[in-house]
Amino acid sequence: MDENQRRLDTIRGRRDEIENHVIDEFVAGRLSRGDFLRRGAVVGLSLPMMAAIVAACGGANSSSSASSGGAPGKPGGTIKAGIITPSGAIDPVTVLDQGGLDMLAQTGEYLCLANSKSQLVPVLAESWSANPAANVWTFKIRQGVKFHNGQPLTADDVVYTYKLQSDPKGKSNALSAFNGIIVPSGVEKVDDFTVAFHLTAPDANFPYVCSSENYNMIILPNNYDSSKWEGSFIGTGPFKLKSYTAKVGASFVRNEAYWGKKALPDATEFTFYDAQQPQILALEAGTIDVVGQFSVQGGQALLNNPKVTVISVRSSAHRELSMRNDQAPFTDPRVRQAVALTLARPDIVQGLFQGKAELGNDSPFAPVFASTDSSVPQRAQDLTKAKQLLQAAGHGSGFSTHLFTETTQEMPAFAQIVKSSAAKIGVDIALTIESPDQYYSKDWLSGIMSMVDYGHRSVPNLFLQAPLQSKGTWNAAHFKNSQYDTLSAQYIAALDLQSQRTVAGKIQNLLLEQTPVIYAYFYNYLAASASNVSGVEPTGIGHLFLFNASKA
Amino acid sequence: MALYIAKRVGYALITLWILSLIVFFAGQVLPGDPARSILGQLAPQSAINALDHQLGVDRPLLTQYWDWITGFVHGDMGNSYQFRAPVEPYISAALQHSLKLAAVAFVIVVPISILGGVVAALNVGRAPDRIITVLGLSASTVPEFVSGIVVIIVFGIWLDVLPISASWSPGASIPDQVYHLILPSIPLVLILFGYIARMARAGTVEALDSDYARTAVLKGLPRGVVIRRHVLRNSLVPTVTVIATQTGYLIGGLVIVETLFNYQGIGLLIYKAAQEKDFPMLEAGVLSIGIVYMVATLIADFVYSMLNPRIRFGASE
Repeated sequence: MDENQRRLDTIRGRRDEIENHVIDEFVAGRLSRGDFLRRGAVVGLSLPMMAAIVAACGGANSSSSASSGGAPGKPGGTIKAGIITPSGAIDPVTVLDQGGLDMLAQTGEYLCLANSKSQLVPVLAESWSANPAANVWTFKIRQGVKFHNGQPLTADDVVYTYKLQSDPKGKSNALSAFNGIIVPSGVEKVDDFTVAFHLTAPDANFPYVCSSENYNMIILPNNYDSSKWEGSFIGTGPFKLKSYTAKVGASFVRNEAYWGKKALPDATEFTFYDAQQPQILALEAGTIDVVGQFSVQGGQALLNNPKVTVISVRSSAHRELSMRNDQAPFTDPRVRQAVALTLARPDIVQGLFQGKAELGNDSPFAPVFASTDSSVPQRAQDLTKAKQLLQAAGHGSGFSTHLFTETTQEMPAFAQIVKSSAAKIGVDIALTIESPDQYYSKDWLSGIMSMVDYGHRSVPNLFLQAPLQSKGTWNAAHFKNSQYDTLSAQYIAALDLQSQRTVAGKIQNLLLEQTPVIYAYFYNYLAASASNVSGVEPTGIGHLFLFNASKA
Repeated sequence: MALYIAKRVGYALITLWILSLIVFFAGQVLPGDPARSILGQLAPQSAINALDHQLGVDRPLLTQYWDWITGFVHGDMGNSYQFRAPVEPYISAALQHSLKLAAVAFVIVVPISILGGVVAALNVGRAPDRIITVLGLSASTVPEFVSGIVVIIVFGIWLDVLPISASWSPGASIPDQVYHLILPSIPLVLILFGYIARMARAGTVEALDSDYARTAVLKGLPRGVVIRRHVLRNSLVPTVTVIATQTGYLIGGLVIVETLFNYQGIGLLIYKAAQEKDFPMLEAGVLSIGIVYMVATLIADFVYSMLNPRIRFGASE
């Protein structure tokens, strides 16, 4: 132990105050190993260093991500995957759908990768660190990396990419992630391999904004016209483009000049599908080896198929059921609580997701987040209390209202459950279920009850801001609460996990009391592969990485 | 005869012009916004407005229509909003795919249906007639997504004798392409068999009851000769029209089959274009289907007039 203590002290001596704080929390047992790896990566501790700290504390390193598992694969062969058809041109600036982001990440690379356990792994950035105020983040860019055309990667490429994607006058889909955090003038080249980001507000989780979570942010060569990217798929990644045909598919070959560990497959082939069912049938027939994503609804055939490996990634993807806090009868928090209390959440998780989801507790703090305060009591169905609350609010005989939602995955079924649950306390909900286009253009932000879908994020920052802050642009509940605004800003600026957890607990309790939005569940991201295929690695946000994949 | 064809071509052109008006203005009432569809639901309104202006969709509708239709007539189908590339290669490839699938389905279904209809007519009221009629009706009521999945599971997964995807490798030979199209053709054959067979049966029954058929029999011609020379020639006239009217369905109406078999046909292309507000793709796709349909109808009219002299003589008068 003395030797371990000596090693720990040596490591500590070289770390800054923020990094040492994370180490202290782990040593004191306030952070689990997974949380330490996750939080340590955010503040800039490298994986080998964290492994050494874990070992010094008597543990073993474990940073592997969810994958189709199995023994380490052998090189060679072609892996065939089915994914949803990209909805438009593959342009890193405008891609906004899963098919498109899957394509970006086959050849492009990010500064860092948020893996399937939401841990940050350095990729094109070797390391990063923040100033104590967490409003300046400095990234060291990896040396010796080359784009597929042979051009070396430098800080100029990173600066160009970030200025392009954060330009508020541009069309970048990444703008929603950069909003309120960074503007082009805040991206600074320090030297040929160092970039500093001067944020417009402190953000302790900024590395996630530079990660694969912000899926548009693959690094482009300096001055490259992104609208021409589809013709080259230029990047620094382990695969290079062989061919791409819009609406049909794409194929890639191993990049033999890759800077890191070479990809196992000789090649990969992606077939685009317009629906889930043909992908499932193709996997069952052996036409493809991997299904990039499927949902439980319609995907039951895969869940119980012994010839298929289901890869389940815990995620923070969820539905937000907003109630207009500025319109009667939902102006009274007791009414909102009453509706929330009608839901039998464990039954919903089982019925809609066959258990492949986790309970929501009416805040965006999903169980998967390290900062979630798990000591906050879980809200459960309580019809008696719900009726009492309605009675106290002057709606003892119930009321009629309207719920607007979209035809996405299980959402219509969930809306029906909400309707039938609320009916048990005399609340009559009329449903309007629309195409996503109709819903977003008409009713998303104006409907008295409105249910929208949110995809996975590794940290809750995005969920805490636009959908819930008083001036939030996606605030469908029209929730205005100064205490919440203060707490959410505190959370985002808090650098250490314990502080985040403390603030998170306050936010969770406040949102339970106010219930502007119902968060009933957080569902897992599901992918599948043939049972003889290993090493398939999806992420919660929708990437499908095949560089470690192999076929037995 | 020339006048007859000229009239038919004239009507076809007018129909296409009306179709162009319908598809253009119907496209405008689709909910949503092209720029919103490209930039996403979360993009700021200023970016949406700028892109709408860049695409030209904020101009007066008549100006947009005129630009589009004059371009189309001159062979310029415009640029896809979603793919930021000319529409023509997408339409052309998808149309070729759809025509191939339609051709395979036709080659299978037309002889089988006519044979089934004639056999039923020759056995009116007896077991073969009832079996063919009931089976045909039953098959045509099974939706494509049901029959499609069944044939995929049976022939593609259990028996593993046919590919479940209609997409073949680049450079595949014609037999290989046909091999890939057999499975997706089956749901179409099931849908069309009952309809075409019923028409063939009705026409044959009517022709068998006619005076000229009776005369042919009375003058001692063998039954086979009567059927071949006198009955079929007349009974198939309405069947040809029915077959031609299915062209629109077979070319542009196969969204489900194309989705299920992952086949990039024009039905799926225009369905996705409508979803994504890709108006140039949608309009060019619908008009292309309209043109194919008109050509098929013209050919059917021509064949009909060949089979039925009263048509062409009536038109000449």
